Amino acid sequence: MTTIWHAIFGYFYLVLTVRVLKRRPGAQMTPFEFVLIFLIGGVIILCTMGDDRSETNSVCAVVTIALMHRLVSYLKTRFPKFGLIVDGTPVALVERGVWHKDLMRRLGLDETDVMAAARVKSVKTLDGIKYAILERNGAISIIKNDS
Amino acid sequence: MPADIETKQIEDSVAKNNNEVAVGSDLEFQRRWWRFEHILWLALTALVILDALGFFGRGWFAKAEAKTPDGSMRIEYERIERFGAPSLLTIHFGQNAVRNGGIQLWASDSLLHELGSQRLIPQADRSALDGHGILYTWVAAPQPDSVQFSMQPAKVGSAWLTLRVPGADQMRLKIAIFP
Repeated sequence: MTTIWHAIFGYFYLVLTVRVLKRRPGAQMTPFEFVLIFLIGGVIILCTMGDDRSETNSVCAVVTIALMHRLVSYLKTRFPKFGLIVDGTPVALVERGVWHKDLMRRLGLDETDVMAAARVKSVKTLDGIKYAILERNGAISIIKNDS
Repeated sequence: MPADIETKQIEDSVAKNNNEVAVGSDLEFQRRWWRFEHILWLALTALVILDALGFFGRGWFAKAEAKTPDGSMRIEYERIERFGAPSLLTIHFGQNAVRNGGIQLWASDSLLHELGSQRLIPQADRSALDGHGILYTWVAAPQPDSVQFSMQPAKVGSAWLTLRVPGADQMRLKIAIFP
């Protein structure tokens, strides 16, 4: 029973922590983000499992986390406001070739991050970007300048 | 298309930026979220500072010392414990704790149940259930001038621990156990 409570607490605690990190890890993974993922994961697993390393305990913990994930996914679909809280909102970083510097600063992003996403779309220079949008999943979408 | 599949005509329901790219951005929410983030980070920083000072156990604030009025015992303990985390409780005996060539110590059963006593150093020569507690006896010379309980709290909440040298003043300690 303790493991289940720990898993529930750990899940929501991690969702909140990852959500308030400046740059959402997962989409543009640098070694800097890898440190976070491994360290946070390692710390939370110790508290969740405690001294009980039995298979029963690990199955219960995994199933609890899976159920929490299903619940949060359902709530996100059912209540769009809840989805906003969990996933955030897309933010335009570049609009019609104009940088939103204040938004980028607050999101912990710089031009290098946008350019990295632009290169994936075969955009060679910054002036080739018409729109750059930070998506809910942490990826940056690029819309090319047609001219 | 099979009849039992629910369908819906595509609508232009996602908010557009500059009336040309459907982004669905909610900047008002984003700004409110940043304010929340700011408050949360302040709270989290405060949490870490309080933890470093020992307000959640294992630090300067958590360490405590208590002494019986007659000087039979001086106890070093942690007033704030953590669930499942090892800790030590040390009892230093005064001269008047020695009776008939031996030392006896009575501890309430919360020592075992809530505080999860794992080990006693040095081991008592005898230990016996006595009311709602345990009576430890050291008879072999030389008697220890201090004993140490190694604990691992097994319940979250607060625990009252009573310690007494029979015939002397008792000490009642309130210990908080954090999850």
